[in-house]
Amino acid sequence: MVSQKNPPPGETPGALAGLRVIDQTQVMAGPFCSMLLADMGAEVIKVEPLEGETMRQERVIAPGVSASFLALNRNKRSLALDLKQPGGVEVLKKLAASADVLVENYRPGVAGRLGVDYETLKKINPRLIYCSISGFGQTGPYASRGGFDLIAQGMSGIMSATGSEGGPPVKVGVPITDLGAGLFAVFGILCALRARRTTGRGQFVDTSLFEAGLALSAWEATEYWYTGQIPKRLGTAHRLNAPYQAFKASDGYFTVGAANNKLWALFAEMLGLGELVTDPRFNTVGGRMQNRLQLEKLLEAATSKQSRAHWLERCEQAGVPAGPIYSVAEAHADPQAQARGMTLEYEYPGVGWVKALGNPVKLSKTPARLRKVPPRLGEDSDAILRELGYGADEVKALRAKKAVA
Amino acid sequence: MKPLEGIRVIDLTQAMAAPFCTMNLADMGADVIKIEPPGEGEPTRQLGAAQKNGHSATFMTMNRGKRGIAVDLKQPEGVEIVRKLAATADVFVQNYRPGVVKRLGLDFESLQKINPRLIYCQISGFGNTGPYASRGGYDLIAQGMSGVISVTGDEDGPPAKSGIPLADLAAGLFGAYGILSALEYRERTGEGQLVDTSLLEAAMALTVWESSEYWTTGKAPKPKGSAHRNSAPYQALKASDGYFTVGAGNDKLFAAFCAALGRKDFLEDARFASRAARLAHRRELEAEIEKITGRETRAAWLAHLEQAGVPAGPINNYAEALADPHALARGMVVDLVHPGAGDIKALGVPVKLSETPGAVDRAAPLLGEHTAQILNELCYSESEQAALLSKGVVQ
Repeated sequence: MVSQKNPPPGETPGALAGLRVIDQTQVMAGPFCSMLLADMGAEVIKVEPLEGETMRQERVIAPGVSASFLALNRNKRSLALDLKQPGGVEVLKKLAASADVLVENYRPGVAGRLGVDYETLKKINPRLIYCSISGFGQTGPYASRGGFDLIAQGMSGIMSATGSEGGPPVKVGVPITDLGAGLFAVFGILCALRARRTTGRGQFVDTSLFEAGLALSAWEATEYWYTGQIPKRLGTAHRLNAPYQAFKASDGYFTVGAANNKLWALFAEMLGLGELVTDPRFNTVGGRMQNRLQLEKLLEAATSKQSRAHWLERCEQAGVPAGPIYSVAEAHADPQAQARGMTLEYEYPGVGWVKALGNPVKLSKTPARLRKVPPRLGEDSDAILRELGYGADEVKALRAKKAVA
Repeated sequence: MKPLEGIRVIDLTQAMAAPFCTMNLADMGADVIKIEPPGEGEPTRQLGAAQKNGHSATFMTMNRGKRGIAVDLKQPEGVEIVRKLAATADVFVQNYRPGVVKRLGLDFESLQKINPRLIYCQISGFGNTGPYASRGGYDLIAQGMSGVISVTGDEDGPPAKSGIPLADLAAGLFGAYGILSALEYRERTGEGQLVDTSLLEAAMALTVWESSEYWTTGKAPKPKGSAHRNSAPYQALKASDGYFTVGAGNDKLFAAFCAALGRKDFLEDARFASRAARLAHRRELEAEIEKITGRETRAAWLAHLEQAGVPAGPINNYAEALADPHALARGMVVDLVHPGAGDIKALGVPVKLSETPGAVDRAAPLLGEHTAQILNELCYSESEQAALLSKGVVQ
């Protein structure tokens, strides 16, 4: 039982209960994908090297406990396995025979060298859905390159559209191609599960950080293809609409999305600048876009006279969408984030209370929930081996050979 | 066969987040029926700068692969058509503010009565519950309130958001994840349910490292330009003709990078010898490295680093990214024919399924393009259809 503050009520099963997932992943994209499956009730077995996955070394908050690892590995079991030993590979094959899904994010080729690639495992289990997440995908000229979020943000165009014009390069502050690839992988896996109901067979699911970055560039690709103009860096402003950006108040910035004629009129009148609504420079979206910097100047002359809190209250009264620019600390303290369960708090044995992000999707009958705190390295090795039919002596022998820990 | 063939989705959505959700379902073979008001259609059909032959590019982008029916929800016969559609559907997706669908009788509770197997997904600014449930929300506002803007941009510059609307896009993807999870549950129990997500929650769910940093250190993370929060060097670096990216944060890659720079001595330098030391001295490290990278072009460094096995890449603009040979080899640019706009381009499917791949093979519908077809499927007779048309209930 997890000791958790304010868990969702009841004891409903997860939407994905009964699904068995082998999680041979590390760092972010893969662990994020398998965590989303685990949150919905899938049984996720994290297969780690004997020294643990690399993130276990980062942000260590207690002996053997890493905050970075905790952040992406809740609801999973851990099996520490040496895949360079035949005994280790055999365990993995037995696991794959019993599983519905396997997720890995090695560089292309590594799984093949270890003898645990899709071609090998599908012979053991034709129903297996095998998902690979890599920097660039399993095919194409860059398939063998290593890829990180930064590289994918740069190559997909995202960095070219982020930050302020004239400044040095800026990436999206959160690793959006890692997270996007994890999300597209979940989507692909769940689609493959649907297909399996018809075909009876599993398949190979292949996605990458680079492709996720491109797929998330729908607006920017559209702008380029249809206008011939290359999307620029606009700070906080919108590509196709204005005013829709951060504005300066007397004590900092706040955001306003007055993205159509009606909201624009409300916003201008609220600022006492009603005359701008009929001004030929600003009376259409096209005009406001064309004269955006001029518009920004005129509006900021008004907004900078009062505080953020003042303007946010006035915007709420006027029905103009607006919001603060929170730090991550303020974001978690916000009453809406709290009401939606975006901060979980649970007791980690030997550490005390720790916090984690909630799942952003609320299912009415089968809510995502914290069923198991993130595992210690190899915490479930014995139990998993016994479930696979290994006897006590065999487990002992595997441990003695350091095939398992 | 595509993997979601046989799944019918009613799409009462507009703008970006929810249309992106159903677009992904359509790419994978779901029969997505987009419901729009007669006359102008959904708001993104209004023409901005991005258009072709009078067809809005933003609408075409988010609505490919869907069928279209134009129905007036202000008339009871129009609402009745949508209720009939919901009775035949597996999934219903909408992104109205809470309250609007209730007035129309198209809320979860009402539709569940006529179809208990229905999975009803709502994607809103802030979610269906909580103090801001009734507020409108945009990507920008969600980026601001989730903390994403607070960690994006130059270290001392004005605020910058993610250049791509990540709260919208992620909410759409989280919605698809919730819907497909709920479909699995329905396979076991026959029961549908409500799937409720929002731009705010989606954006917050992306702050994994940043939230973790805050909870661990007690300090709210700040923007770092192109640099990584937990490792260095992992950032854009200046060559003689512009910037390129390098990710060499771990000891092994750092050693390979130093060798490629001809500065193996960095490995002995106490400021750079460990991961923690490099992070603590990131600015000094950057200055030292840029003394060397500044001597040659981006292209030269990318070639050196590829040989050395150090992950690195160009900072492409969208003209370059969309023409990149790897992007093309992976099918990320697709040619489509739209009935009005003619030849257009679209982004491909980023996740490849070997046996039942998704595909982008049909452009977005014209307003009301499939109205008659869909009414026929619902068994409206010709005379009933004529009556609906003449009353302006459908178009």
